[in-house]
Amino acid sequence: MSFLSMRTACSILAMSLMCLSVNAPMAQTTTSRIVSAANVFLSTLDQKQRQSVLFAFDDEKQRARWSNLPTTMAPRAGLSLKELNPAQSSAALALVSSALSPRGFQKVQQIIEGDEVLKTGGANNPLFGKDLYYISIVGTPSEKDPWMLQFGGHHLAVNITLAGERGVLTPTLTGAQPALYTLNGKTVRPLGQESDKAIALLNALDENQQKQAILSYRLADLVLGPGQDGKIIQPEGLKASAMDERQRAMLLDVISEWASIARENAATARMAEIKADIKDTWFAWSGPATVTPGSNITAYYRIQGPHLVIEYAPQRLGGDPSMHVHTMYRDPTNDYGRRLTAK
Amino acid sequence: MKTRLAAAGAILLLVGTPAAAHRLDEYLQATTISVEKDRIQAQIRLTPGVAVFPIVLANIDTDADGVISEAEQRAYAERVLGDLSLTIDGDRLRLRLVSSKFASLDEMKEGSGEIQLEFRADVPTGGTNRRLMFENQHQSRIGAYLVNCLVPGDPDIRITAQSRNYQQSLYHLDYMQADGRSGPRSSASWSSSWGWLGTAALLLFAGFAFVWRRARTANDAIAQK
Repeated sequence: MSFLSMRTACSILAMSLMCLSVNAPMAQTTTSRIVSAANVFLSTLDQKQRQSVLFAFDDEKQRARWSNLPTTMAPRAGLSLKELNPAQSSAALALVSSALSPRGFQKVQQIIEGDEVLKTGGANNPLFGKDLYYISIVGTPSEKDPWMLQFGGHHLAVNITLAGERGVLTPTLTGAQPALYTLNGKTVRPLGQESDKAIALLNALDENQQKQAILSYRLADLVLGPGQDGKIIQPEGLKASAMDERQRAMLLDVISEWASIARENAATARMAEIKADIKDTWFAWSGPATVTPGSNITAYYRIQGPHLVIEYAPQRLGGDPSMHVHTMYRDPTNDYGRRLTAK
Repeated sequence: MKTRLAAAGAILLLVGTPAAAHRLDEYLQATTISVEKDRIQAQIRLTPGVAVFPIVLANIDTDADGVISEAEQRAYAERVLGDLSLTIDGDRLRLRLVSSKFASLDEMKEGSGEIQLEFRADVPTGGTNRRLMFENQHQSRIGAYLVNCLVPGDPDIRITAQSRNYQQSLYHLDYMQADGRSGPRSSASWSSSWGWLGTAALLLFAGFAFVWRRARTANDAIAQK
């Protein structure tokens, strides 16, 4: 079992069923299920906690208050799981789960569990741990009006904007340290697919394409990480118009690792948008073009299209770059659902 | 400097456990450049790693009183600017500091604090094809550099090529600019303008020659009749 004990998982399931029953007589849409989960979560809180977790929809400071850094180094607002009792914590996680795909929620769980491994491996270092993840709601949960759900902590920032049935997952940051660990006898690589699919794509390129895709310089970190909202950098590398259909399908498959963190309807709409742009999308790689089987790549890569920026950036910090990864997922034209919420 | 690097190494040994989550032995310097018709704007974000913070701090807190005063901030910002070089078509541009923002000492000690500097330079009028060169030599022994150009907001400006050295301390950017503007002119732009004038005069002369020759041929034909 991952960081959720069987008991907690059952609680989340129960909470999810409660959310279903709230609107049972009506046809349930994805958004109505998320709104129900949000209202169930809010109903478990006392007045002071509600004040802490709710922010005005126009609170730009809160919207941008996320980071890859531990919460003790880059403080978050909202409520941490540490501040919640088990029922409240289950309701919070049920809300997060309702807004994500099963695979997306699993990825979130694995990132958090990795932080717990980091904590226990570092003599209970107070910088880390599964309790140091924060939930916040920006705006009022609504089936029609826009609002936002934020969940994050060290190596995680999920920002979901909902406007009616439309959902936007950008900007979202995922990361992992350790990026490979063993839990209950099973090997876990929270961002393993992001690594495996990307190197498979690189290997599917011919020599000339690789020459274009592989950058000649080192990239030490994310270029468009936290605090870099609204920036669009000049794309580089290999343009997908110079790829064949199979390679473009592989590129889309890499992208789906981020897009499909969201619920199915939002992910489907997002992938359709990205597919329409695919020939104007660039793939750039910096670093070793080989990988030890079963490990993560140690190279940086970036995928950039008219409505997309993805960065995968291994970090030297901690010694082995394959064990510490930061990734960024953006739509510079629609981060925080700006296109949906523009007046 | 050697002593400081050795001290940094010792700190690295102390903090460089697998649990280290923050920048350690590098001084990350990320620059984004924005190209406009008559000016270049740029932002540089400097994040000292935990292990190299003492080296960086010694350069900022020059009186070593443990406090970074406004005067020390200004002096350091100017020092960083002095280590940067920006040229356009080979002509060096003067960088002017627009703003600076320093994280707290505690944040920087932890490896999470940033120094943000914004600067700009006026760009003299030039030709259609332009080449920008940016070089960052600030704290090169510990520097980890990133440099990128933002997609121009002006549709008349189009980026055509970018190149960097491995460390990204040296960056070249080629771009095309569709029309001229009213900035101060460089010698390069003047020679380019004279080139255009020369071409126009040549075309005009060719046109006159063609018309004159046609008229003469017509006169000859009438005379023969």
